[in-house]
This record gives sequence, structure tokens and C-alpha cells, in this order.
Amino acid sequence: MSRAALVTGALLVALGLAVFAAKVGIYGLPVKPADTRGLWQVELRVTVRGDGRQGSVSALLPGPAGGQAVLDERSTSDRLSFSIRKRDDARIGVWQGRLEGVHEIFYQFRVQSGGEVVPLPEGPLPDPPASVVKAHGRASHEFPAGSPEVRDALERLSLPPPANPLDRVRKVFAFVSHEVATTGSAGSDAMLTLAQREGSSIGKARLLVTLLRAAGVPARLVRGLGLRELAAPDEKIWCEAWLGGGWLPLSPVDGFFAERPEDLVPLGDGGRELVEATGALAVGYRFRSLRERLRPAEVALLMEPESPVLADVSLYKLPVGTQSALRALLLFPLGALIVALFRNVVGVPTYGTFMPLLVAFALRGFSLAPGLLLVAFVLALGVVTRLALERLRLLMVPRLSVMLCVVVLSVAALSLAGEALGAREFFAGVLFPIVILTMLVERFTISVAEEGWREALVPLGWSLLVAVAIHPVFRNPLAEHLMFTFPELTVVVMGALVWIGGYTGYRVADLLRFRALAPVAPGARF
Amino acid sequence: MWRRLRAAGVLGINGRNALYTLRHNARRLYPLVDDKLATKRLCEAAGIPAPRLLAVAYRHYELRRLLAELAAHQSFVLKPARGAMGNGIVVVLGHRGEGFVRSGGREISREGFLYHAAGIISGLYSLAGHSDVAMVEERLESHPALAALCTEGVPDVRVIVYRGYPVMSMTRLPTAASAGRANLHQGAIGAGIELASGRTHRAILRGREVGENPDTGRRVLGVPIPAWERVLETAVRATDQTGLGYVGADVVVDAARGAMILEMNARPGLAIQLANGAGLLHRLRAVDELAEVSRSLSQRIELGREIAARARARARRAA
Repeated sequence: MSRAALVTGALLVALGLAVFAAKVGIYGLPVKPADTRGLWQVELRVTVRGDGRQGSVSALLPGPAGGQAVLDERSTSDRLSFSIRKRDDARIGVWQGRLEGVHEIFYQFRVQSGGEVVPLPEGPLPDPPASVVKAHGRASHEFPAGSPEVRDALERLSLPPPANPLDRVRKVFAFVSHEVATTGSAGSDAMLTLAQREGSSIGKARLLVTLLRAAGVPARLVRGLGLRELAAPDEKIWCEAWLGGGWLPLSPVDGFFAERPEDLVPLGDGGRELVEATGALAVGYRFRSLRERLRPAEVALLMEPESPVLADVSLYKLPVGTQSALRALLLFPLGALIVALFRNVVGVPTYGTFMPLLVAFALRGFSLAPGLLLVAFVLALGVVTRLALERLRLLMVPRLSVMLCVVVLSVAALSLAGEALGAREFFAGVLFPIVILTMLVERFTISVAEEGWREALVPLGWSLLVAVAIHPVFRNPLAEHLMFTFPELTVVVMGALVWIGGYTGYRVADLLRFRALAPVAPGARF
Repeated sequence: MWRRLRAAGVLGINGRNALYTLRHNARRLYPLVDDKLATKRLCEAAGIPAPRLLAVAYRHYELRRLLAELAAHQSFVLKPARGAMGNGIVVVLGHRGEGFVRSGGREISREGFLYHAAGIISGLYSLAGHSDVAMVEERLESHPALAALCTEGVPDVRVIVYRGYPVMSMTRLPTAASAGRANLHQGAIGAGIELASGRTHRAILRGREVGENPDTGRRVLGVPIPAWERVLETAVRATDQTGLGYVGADVVVDAARGAMILEMNARPGLAIQLANGAGLLHRLRAVDELAEVSRSLSQRIELGREIAARARARARRAA
């Protein structure tokens, strides 16, 4: 290796490690990701359009209810004033002002959800307080508890006496859970759901609240978010029943009773939409979430540290969507390092320098076997198309583009299949790299035509093997945490790459290939 | 293994790239050898023999004209100007009806020929996939002494020239398995040539040592390369013109016209070491010690042959 490469590499490695060491040693940033189950970052982005009238946007905000903790809430909006109002148990964020043109509102928070298990009350229970009965125990337009059909249904359930409210709740819950079907397209009205014995998740939740109120148990709807890894949060609606002095969460759709699953974040009273607007022409919103890898105290270190420079360069203050993309992107240098090791130190042939990297990235959302199957399927389809197109004798760019169309269509078809199999957003985030496989198909088929299957399959096999080697790194929380929390490690990777780049010694493949040239009886020590 | 290869002076891929091609081959000079048209012009200007250019098509609309121009010629070779490893080459031996007869007896229609040429122009066979030029040159007839060693294709002689000195050489003999192509990866035989004597002394097929061509059963060792002095001279003169420091020059010995430059390569492969049973490193270092002084062509060729002979003697002693 040349001196210059050695020194440059060493400087880069030293620089990166020094910054890393300072951040760990002086500021105490954690080297390992914390066990942060139930800790999430959530971002709400509202877009609202107005014609110059006064108006407001309001959104349900998470509160401290149900054992969850909300940390560093932040809101940014142009030209609108922000305030938080409290109504009963709910917190409502209100952005007010003259709505002129398009406004963007961001609201970000971290939440430690962790779920809760409510102990079931035992023995005789006290009557619910009058205020609760007044707010949540009466028939209303939304919950027609007094209607004859509801009373009919209750009678047929033959509930235990009112002195045993817990068993009454159980029986009603079992009825709505098991004897009313859940259908996405069905009605969201309590009465309709009861009459048809099927309803949407909102319809079933409304029916449950209606029946509970008719049975003398105060109940209400709760709206919230179901947070998921690598996908947008689901908007959820479930119920709470007042029993023995507290609210008992239960959902006839997601099937929980007296507990709230981890990663389900209640946002407040279901009597209203998650986001509403007045005086606006149109309003749209989107939630995004990201699993947090740092403990709250550690995040605080990065947000308001002793060193202002550290805060300025911390990636943790970026919007959730950007953070999510960067977490993936910052793993690329590690992947590139693996490719460089395989190619320049081991000496295996691959198609294209970064093809294995892209394949590994495409596989990121999957465990290994189904991911490889997917890649194999797209490759096979591409090769078949390519061979079929050969007869048409098309020019290269249009031919490649036709293959691209086929690959895109096949990914769309697979997404539909995934949806049907219940794996929603199966392909979110991996679509782009899969499309790049078109190039791999082209190079592979040319190689087949010119050098035969054997010669073409070898680099393909190695490309996939290198991708398989990168795959666990791309899915490793520790690697993700390190590269994202300490972006300076990318400089260390650069240093290592400079070293590899300056390595003039034999590759493993050289040793095998030229082994015949080594003298049989070595004169040199061995 | 590492130390033994080091002792044998074997050059690895990283070593070749970092120490030789990157250091001695300026990037801006690559087009001179990557583009066969440029190479041809270079050789023509310096009076170095090279196959005659019969026709060129730079754009798709020129392809019909290309066909018209070829009507007058019996045999020719269609190739991409920027191809690599012998890919995309069509050798035409003669006309038959509406089409052509390719080497190996296969036929190709005029349509097929044009489609292939269109593929070349689209960049299907070029080094980086850029659009390319389809060129047609005269087909060389191999010297009978070399032609006798193989059943199809045209054998060539690869000479590695380092800083103006020939350091190692081999002849590449196409086989049935390589479909007539003189490419070791595709199954051609590589037979190492002693620079001093101009005779083959060792041969490999797919990385294994062999003594004869499996197609013909004829021995490929101890065969004198015809017009050996001219081959070396042509190779060194051509590489001198490029300004590149580490080049593989491919020379064909034509039956009628003698040694001619077929093409040159700025990243010559390392299998030549296997074909010669010797490493390149000792020879390259020996040249480094000489290269500071400028010498005439014939002096350099003489010194290159001496270095190679010394290296072989030394290797024999070590074994």
C-alpha cells in the first residue's frame, strides 16, 4: 500500500473515531441502542387550504392517559397561532388564524406507550359517578341505547343482573366480537351494524358502546394510532367502559379486553375526527412514525446538550420522514464497505459495483427467504421477457424500457397479492430498488447470450451472495443506531475504504487462481 | 501460499491496477486503445501494419450503406469499436444467397447482420454501455504455422509491453469451446512464449496445464512463432505510439502480410502468467531499473528478452 493511502486512511479513521469517542466519552451518548419497546416518534403533517377567512384546524393530541408518557412535543406552522385546549380527558391542539392559500402544520412528539393492563375489578362495584353517567352513560344520536332493537338484542343475550357489571360487559363484548362480522366496506352506524350483523371497525365500536350504555355501563370511543415498523401508522378506533372507578379499554375488532396493546397510542375521545378544520376549503393530513432507538434522556442530550454544535449537527431534530430515510441511507456506506471487501480482498465477480447493495436494500423489508424469492421471481420474469423480446429485434433503450414496464407491472401485481394475503404495505419502500433489477436482467441475459449460462450464473450467484451478506447489516438495529447517532462513523468507513483502495496485495481469488505458480518446494519460509 | 506467490513474482489484480495500470496508464490515453478506430488511425499514421478498414457506421441510418459497401468484399469482420473480450464480433467468410456464412459454418441473414450491427451502435457490447460505432475490417488469414494449431478462428499473439520493453508473451489459440474466439475466459488455449527463442513452452486451457489442443490433438508446445522478431517489433512500436506504460498488444501473423496489430489493451489480463508458468513482477521491476535511460527500439526489445530469459533461469533454479 502506498504511504499516502495509508496515511490518508489513518487520518480519516482517526478523525471519525475521535469525534465518536468525544460524543460517547464527554457527552455520554449511548453506543448501544436502548431497549426502547413502545418508544416512538410520531409526526402529524396537516395541509390546509383557505380563501382568506378566519379559520382553525384542530387535532387530537396524545395525553398522559393510560400510563403513556408524551415527551418533547413540538409544533411548527407558518402564520397560525397554536394553543392546546383540554376537554374532559382529551387534549386538542388548535391552530388558528387567517387561512390564506396553503398552510402546512407539523406536530411532532415522542411517546412512550408500552401498553397497559387494567386489573379487573372484583367483588361488588361502586356505581359510576353522576358526571361520568351524564357524559358517557346516556343514549345519543350516535349511540341510540334507548331504541327497541337494542333492548331486544340485550334481552336475547340474557345478561347477568346489574350487580355484576363485569360479566355484563364480558357478555356484550363477546356478542359484538364473535357474532358481528368485521367488513371494511360495511356500515359505520351502530343500528345498521346490529341489524346486518356486520359492520366496519367504527360500526362495531359504536355498537359496542351503544349496547354497553343500554346495559347500564358508561362507555365511550377512543381514537388513536396503531404504530408499526417501516409503515405509516394505522388510524384505530376502540372502546372504553367505565368499571369499578376507571376506564377499561376493549376492542371487538383488534380483540383486546381490559388491556391496551403496546404500540397503540390513544389520542383522545372518539366523539370527533382526529383532525378537523373550520373556515377552510380543504384539509388533508398524514401521520408518520418511527421507532425510537434512544431513551428519552439520551434524546434530550442530543436536543439540548451542553454543546450547541452537537445539537446543530444532530440528525434527531429532522422531520420523521427524513430521519427514516437517512437511517436507511447511512447504512449504505457499510454495505459499500462489504462490497469492496468482497470485490477487492476476496476477489469475487459481481454485476456492477453497487448492484449487490441495491439488491440488499430491496431485501431490507423482508426476512431473507421471502426476499430472495421475490428477487428471483422478478429476475426470472425479466429474463423470460428479455428472451421473448429478442425475437422482435428492438433497439436497446426501448427494449430496456419495455422490460422496465414488465418489472413494474409484476411488482404491482405482487403488491396486490401481498394485500390479498394480508401483508399490507408489503412493498412500501422497496419498490424503487426492485425496479433497478431491470439492469441486472439486461446484463445477465447479455452475459448468457455471449458466454453461456455457466459464465453468466457465476457473477449472478456472487452478486446475490454479497447481497445476502449485506442483508443482516441493513436490518441490524445496532448498525442503524450507530450510523445514525454517530454519522462520523461514515468517515471511519471512508478511511477503511481508502485502505482497501490502496491494498495492492493478493486477493483470495488470486491465491486460488495462481496457486500453480507457487514453487512446490518453497525456498522461502512458509 | 501468499509468500510463495510473492516469491514467484506473481502479480495480483489489485497490484496490477494500483501499481501498473493506474500509475503508468494516463486515463486520457485510454480512448487510443479502447477505441479500435483510434488505434487503427494511430497505427496508420505511424506506418505500423494493421487490418484494413472496409466500412464504418456511426449511426443507425448508415447501416444500409454499410451493407452496400460490403457487397464488393468476400470476407470481413464486423466488430464494435469499443468492444471488450472479443464480444460482439461477427466473422463473415463469404456470401451465400441473401445472407452470409459466418466462421464455424453458421449462416447469418442480412437482417440478422444489420440487427447485430444496430446492437453494436446502441452500445450493447461497448465497455460502458455507451453508444458505439460498428466497424468492418478485412479478415486476416492466419499464418499456416499457427493456423495448424487450431480448427477455427484466428490465433493471435499477446505481448505485454511495460515502459517500452516487452516482458511476457503468449499466443491464444481459439478452440471449438471458445467458438473461435481468442479469449482464455471463453475456453481458448493460452500458450506461453519464451521471449528469447520465440517458442511456446507451456500452455493452459481453462486454467489447467495442457500439452496439446484437444480439438486437433496436436502438440502446442515447442512451436516456433512465425516472424517472431517482427511480432515483437510491431507490438513495441505500436505501444510506443500510445504513450501508455503498461499495455497488452495483440498481434496477428497474417499469412500474406506478416505481423499486424489487431488491437491493444490498457488493462491486460493476468492469465498470461499461468500460460508462462511465471510471475510478471520480477520482470517489471527489472524494467523499472532500466527504464530511466532512453534506448532505441531494438535495444529495448533485446533487453526485454534478456530479462525474460534471466527470470526463467532463476525460476528454474528455484524449482
